[in-house]
Amino acid sequence: MEDQDILLKFADPVSRNVAFNQLVRKYQQKVYWHVRKMVIDHDDADDLTQDVFVKVWKHLGNFRQDASLYTWIYRIATNECLSFLQSKRRKFFLPLHDVAAELAAKVEADPALAGDDIERRLQQAILRLPDKQRLVFNLRYYDEMPYEQMAEVTGTSVGALKASYHHAAKKIEQYLNNDAPAN
Amino acid sequence: MKTPFRLDEHPRRPQPLAPPPAGYFDQLPMRVMQRVQGDIAEERPAFAFGWLARLAAPVRTALATTVVLGGFAGAFLLSQPTLRPATGTDFTLAAVPQSEMVQYLLASEQRVSLSDLAELPDAGQALPDSDLYASPDELQEALDAQPTEEFYL
Repeated sequence: MEDQDILLKFADPVSRNVAFNQLVRKYQQKVYWHVRKMVIDHDDADDLTQDVFVKVWKHLGNFRQDASLYTWIYRIATNECLSFLQSKRRKFFLPLHDVAAELAAKVEADPALAGDDIERRLQQAILRLPDKQRLVFNLRYYDEMPYEQMAEVTGTSVGALKASYHHAAKKIEQYLNNDAPAN
Repeated sequence: MKTPFRLDEHPRRPQPLAPPPAGYFDQLPMRVMQRVQGDIAEERPAFAFGWLARLAAPVRTALATTVVLGGFAGAFLLSQPTLRPATGTDFTLAAVPQSEMVQYLLASEQRVSLSDLAELPDAGQALPDSDLYASPDELQEALDAQPTEEFYL
């Protein structure tokens, strides 16, 4: 179902639930993986993904269609992730490094990365980036999102996003080249 | 020899972490809908008091103060003992035989002075008709029986 059809049906109280169900089915995997790559843990990602869609439900009636629905949902998901990581630091009085260390420990324990040393190190390198830069890297590298769309999601200029991604990629390569074992 | 890592040469895995449990994406829409419906149900009782939210903060404060003070005043009034009507007391006293009343007064340590008797009409208590309509002979007999001191009992 097209986004426009979903929005039209959502506007009608009779078909609102059906339209929203379609919306969740359409975007759930993208939202989940976007969140999961930021918070690493599945349970946290599950909670946040649900929170994102609850917010979408609450505010979809006020959605002005200045941006695409896809971008708007990504923006909500991004804000939820950043708020979650920020509150986690405030809650446990942990400095940046400690939250990164906690996420790194979860990556180490992830069964999908067992036996793939380069991929595991790549994930560790990504986790060393500041949250916002990690977010930019994920959107560009994994989701292959155009910079213009990234600008709408993050509220940052295209130029700044390109620079941020470039620096992130360099940091990651540097980390892997310094620490990677000889092939 | 160490091969330098280059990000653009590395095979990209769009979902690098372990996948969620089997059937997760089949159940997620239903769980989201349950949460959404739960939020709607929670909002309904709040709607009954929605008019409160529309009031200005000072008005809400004044209203809350009035309710609290009203509650205190109501509790104070309800806690007061109920006053019995004077007629009920008079009726009870009238029912006591005169002889028993005299016996009580004789046995009591209390002494009734003439000034007490003088104040009796001022108390506004209705006296039994039998006391008001005593015959002159009865009055004379009662006076003769009284001692000449201030206290007669």
